[in-house]
Amino acid sequence: MQIFPRKLNLLPLVLGAAVFIAGGAVTFGVWYYFSPKNLQVGYAPQQPVPYSHRLHAGELGMDCRYCHANAERSYEAMVPPTQTCMGCHNIVRTDSARLEPVRQSWQTNDPIPWTRVHKLPDHVFFDHSVHLAAAVGCVTCHGRIDQMDVVRQDQPLSMAWCLDCHRDPGPNLRPRTETTNMQWQPDEAWTAHLDERVAALNPPSHCSGCHR
Amino acid sequence: MNDHEKTLPEPRVWRSLDELHSDGPRDMRTDHEKTPGALLETHSLLGRRGFIQYTGATAAALGMSACIRRPVEQIMPYSRAPEYQVPGVPLHYATAVSHRGDAIGVLATQHDGRPTKLEGNPDHTGSRGALGLLQQQAIWDLYDPDRARVPAHREGDSLLDSSFEAFDEAFGALIATHAANAGRGLRVLTRGTTSPSFMRLREAAKARLPQLRFHTWDSVNEANVLAGAHLAYGQQLGTVVDYGASRVVLAIDSDFLGTEPGALRAARAFGPTRAIERPDQEMSRLYVVESTFSVTGGAADHRLRLAPSQIEGYLRALARTLQSKGGFDLGAIAPAIIAAPLDAFSAHSAWLNTVADDLLAHRGTAPVVLGSGHAPALHALVHAINVALGNVGRSVKYFAPVDAAATDPVADLKALVADIGSGAVQTVIVLGANPVYDAPADVDVRAAFGHEGLTLVHLSSHREETSELATWHVPEAHFLETWGDHRAIDGTVSPQQPLVAPLWGGRAPIELLARLAGEANWRSHYVVQQTFRSRFPAPGSFGREWRRTLHRGVVAGTGGVPVQPPLIQAPAIATALAQAGETAAEGIELVFLPDSRLFDGRYANNIWALELPDPMTKIVWDNAALMSPATAARLSVRNNDVMRVSVGDASIEIPAFVLPGHADDTFTLHLGWGRPSAGRYGAGKGFDLRPLRSSAHMHHVAGATVAKAGRTYNVVHTQEHGSMEGRPLALDATLEAWRADPRFAQFRSVDPTEGPLWQRQDYSTGHQWGMTIDLGSCTGCNACVIACQAENNIPVVGKAEVARGRQMSWMRIDRYFVGDENDPRVALSPVACQQCEEAPCENVCPVTATSHSPEGLNDMAYNRCVGTRYCANNCPYKVRRFNYLSWHEYLDGDPELIGGVPTLTPTYGNMPETRKMQYNPNVTVRMRGVMEKCSYCVQRIEAAKIATRRDDRDMRDGDIVTACQQTCPTGAISFGDLNDPRSNVARKVRLDRGYHLLAELGVHPRTTFLARIRNANPAMGTPAAAASEEAEG
Repeated sequence: MQIFPRKLNLLPLVLGAAVFIAGGAVTFGVWYYFSPKNLQVGYAPQQPVPYSHRLHAGELGMDCRYCHANAERSYEAMVPPTQTCMGCHNIVRTDSARLEPVRQSWQTNDPIPWTRVHKLPDHVFFDHSVHLAAAVGCVTCHGRIDQMDVVRQDQPLSMAWCLDCHRDPGPNLRPRTETTNMQWQPDEAWTAHLDERVAALNPPSHCSGCHR
Repeated sequence: MNDHEKTLPEPRVWRSLDELHSDGPRDMRTDHEKTPGALLETHSLLGRRGFIQYTGATAAALGMSACIRRPVEQIMPYSRAPEYQVPGVPLHYATAVSHRGDAIGVLATQHDGRPTKLEGNPDHTGSRGALGLLQQQAIWDLYDPDRARVPAHREGDSLLDSSFEAFDEAFGALIATHAANAGRGLRVLTRGTTSPSFMRLREAAKARLPQLRFHTWDSVNEANVLAGAHLAYGQQLGTVVDYGASRVVLAIDSDFLGTEPGALRAARAFGPTRAIERPDQEMSRLYVVESTFSVTGGAADHRLRLAPSQIEGYLRALARTLQSKGGFDLGAIAPAIIAAPLDAFSAHSAWLNTVADDLLAHRGTAPVVLGSGHAPALHALVHAINVALGNVGRSVKYFAPVDAAATDPVADLKALVADIGSGAVQTVIVLGANPVYDAPADVDVRAAFGHEGLTLVHLSSHREETSELATWHVPEAHFLETWGDHRAIDGTVSPQQPLVAPLWGGRAPIELLARLAGEANWRSHYVVQQTFRSRFPAPGSFGREWRRTLHRGVVAGTGGVPVQPPLIQAPAIATALAQAGETAAEGIELVFLPDSRLFDGRYANNIWALELPDPMTKIVWDNAALMSPATAARLSVRNNDVMRVSVGDASIEIPAFVLPGHADDTFTLHLGWGRPSAGRYGAGKGFDLRPLRSSAHMHHVAGATVAKAGRTYNVVHTQEHGSMEGRPLALDATLEAWRADPRFAQFRSVDPTEGPLWQRQDYSTGHQWGMTIDLGSCTGCNACVIACQAENNIPVVGKAEVARGRQMSWMRIDRYFVGDENDPRVALSPVACQQCEEAPCENVCPVTATSHSPEGLNDMAYNRCVGTRYCANNCPYKVRRFNYLSWHEYLDGDPELIGGVPTLTPTYGNMPETRKMQYNPNVTVRMRGVMEKCSYCVQRIEAAKIATRRDDRDMRDGDIVTACQQTCPTGAISFGDLNDPRSNVARKVRLDRGYHLLAELGVHPRTTFLARIRNANPAMGTPAAAASEEAEG
């Protein structure tokens, strides 16, 4: 007696295909969506002081290096000490309630506990100074900071993303004088000499370039 | 469902007949399942189901954790930023440290406020840019978690934590009491000092408290050397041998490259005279006569082993032989040595006649040096010989004494103990010394310090043996935490500049002295500035000169000017020689030497020092009774047999260890071990020699009796094997042989002419890093090993794990014995990753965690490594190290484990915070399950490359200095760009004595060894050398 209909003979095949497709979909989903591009980009934590880059760097036009003074000297761009804030704010908006944590830090000598937005793993030794020496603009990795009220991670900062540029740095290079210019666009005079710049640069793409 | 269906009886559904006939559904559960928890009780802690549940939950949790964002991290900028401190950019400060009556200039690196690494100050004559082993490891002591943190005060039988305020008050009251009675009954016991501030305050304190008396105690001291010079010249003089200006050196029981005073200074000068690049260059020759086998003996061209009691006879016989030759006159000393018997050395006639001829042939450049363990009269004789050889002013220089008030520590300590016993002393202030641990056995410091009514103030870094008897214990600040100053033996004055405020508070010896001297402001900064004020007397110049001095680390214009010694006091020497004289005794002779790593015990809690292999025996975490193979055979003992060694009534038990090349019927015993209160890591490690050391025999004693104790003790060492098994590993040749066959090394270690099966990478462009290690100047001192450990965050694994072969040091110094078992030569070979161009490790890594950089580096990506260990198995040099456990935390996991008791369940996470502060932030701290190895200090390479790009310039030779190269006292290591034809390393790689280790494998190492050249004297006969040539094939 035939209990199961004949068409069920296809079941293993259908099941196999379903597992394959579902597995593939899950794998793809994890591989694609669980990547820094989707999980890290857009991270914009609340900071202890509602500092606005849009106001300072955008509207007031302050240079990035006024506060991040060590970006060209150290591996860290440096979050400025309270001192830097107070340089202006002991004259400007001295009674603003939003600046209360800054004044407090200045009085107590305690640091302001900023939340890190751009975080690389501990085994990555990234150096701001050499990237600025190579004339990669701030905007390349950090996005349009001058338009952000709250700083948001703009790029995935993943290893693949780093290597994309290390293998082909040309599109991300600019004149050294323009590194902090958020609106700079390459012109023909620049692109004409880009190949020479790239050849002289030769950024590392071997392990110890970043992992030590 | 409708009403109709409801009324129908439901048919019973059953699965088996048992179920059908039973009352209800059958309980299918097992007994375990019926009783909750039964499984856990009856079986292991975690049952099968629990295990699967936890595993599943863990896997899920891990999976989830990968999805969510990494933990929130905060950035804490300064409120007010210190000047010059750029976050992320290390700062370097010049400072100085004192060692054995000499000063050593240090450049200390500080990362964001944490001192992390010490290097030599090139402007200081005592270091000239290098550092010895003891100075390298000193950084660890700063972060020693067992350092005393608060003063302690005695309440009854115990020391109770107190506070600095309470101590300051009590100390003030104590001084006030003694100020009222002019210092009667007040004694200060210090270590020997090189500090001008210390000496100034000592005089000031004496002036204020006329009856105050100072005593000095150091168990390893330079008293014989100083007394010898005083005897020879009738005045205090510091002696410096200029090895750089020497052609022939005769070292008699003097480990002048290792543990003797001024060893770093000596090695800096001596190294270049051994590293000749062409066969036609002149090379120095080193004769060594010694009882133990020291690193200096390893570096010797000719070495004679003699028991310590024969050393004096040899020296007298040599003097007599010299005197008998023409043109050499010891003057009034001659009659005293004319009686010297030569018979005892008939077997070694070359060691008298030929050596004497060689010394005489190189008058002026042929210093004779004697070890600090020998009597002043013999030192005086050596001074007389150096005068007669015309060495004075050329290769032997004299300087004004560092501390003109230096005394004989043994007599001084005895006097103190006697005075305490007579009740004349009410208060003893001990500054740094630890006499309860290291005083001679016949000086009962423990009883004296326990004297009824005695107030004992002890200043030391740890609560140690002496502290246990103290009324007050005060933590001593580390030299990187406090101001000070040092005067080197050649007169160079250096400030000791702190890099960090005391981590837990602490006082400097000069601070307590300043209070004794009645200074209102006793802070070390002020005290040292006061001392320097007299140096810069010009009005208004002090601030500028002080800053300039701090910047350079030396006071400009000081030092380097020798004094002309007065005429030698021949009659006095003759009298002293007539009175001196070793009396040989039956039995075993014992030699007490400072340990190369723990020195006199002050580094006994330093884990780097504890796990550093001894340069000759390669023993770690212990000391042992070293003896020659012949003596071991005669006593029928083997390694690890515990011996009871007795001198008179006193005896200790210590394991035996056979060291080829040791003098027969003599044991070498290293000091500094067996400290009961060293700290959590060092307490009880090794064996204390104190019972055997009496005040009359501080350095060696004859007539010891030994017996087997009938048990064994596991001594762990890192090199089981002393033979090269006929392979060309550490190559050497005599100068003559080299001249006859300049490329001998490459003929013996042949690079294959055929390449690998695959296409070789092109290394002809860009930077190509390479290293050369000159075996001619390497002494095997181990400074590089510690420098590497400090630079690269290398963990320590403990004795039990070293016994399993799991030591982690990236650099090891292979020590081979060549030739006769009883009288071998030593061949050394420092081996780190050779950075093979065709690296066998790379081919077998399944995850490409190790791969090649275009600059020729064998890169290691720790985060890719999955720990298969294939690479280590495939490495022909065995330089890869595996983190079997999380070593950094492991040592602190289980107190018992620190003692080397093997257990598999350490509790992690107990690592003291301070130890983390030492880590170099530019090097990953590796975790469990990861392979690691020498990276050629890739962090320094990348930092230099970044600097050149930042400054828009080309890389210059010398921009990159690896940690091992930086510290090497003899300059044996060179590093640089092989593609830069002007670089030092490119020149050395092409030297004709260069060769590759295991070259025949065709892995093309980037490290080139330069074969050692021995300047053997053909007239000496070279039985050992000839034998070795055969043995090596």
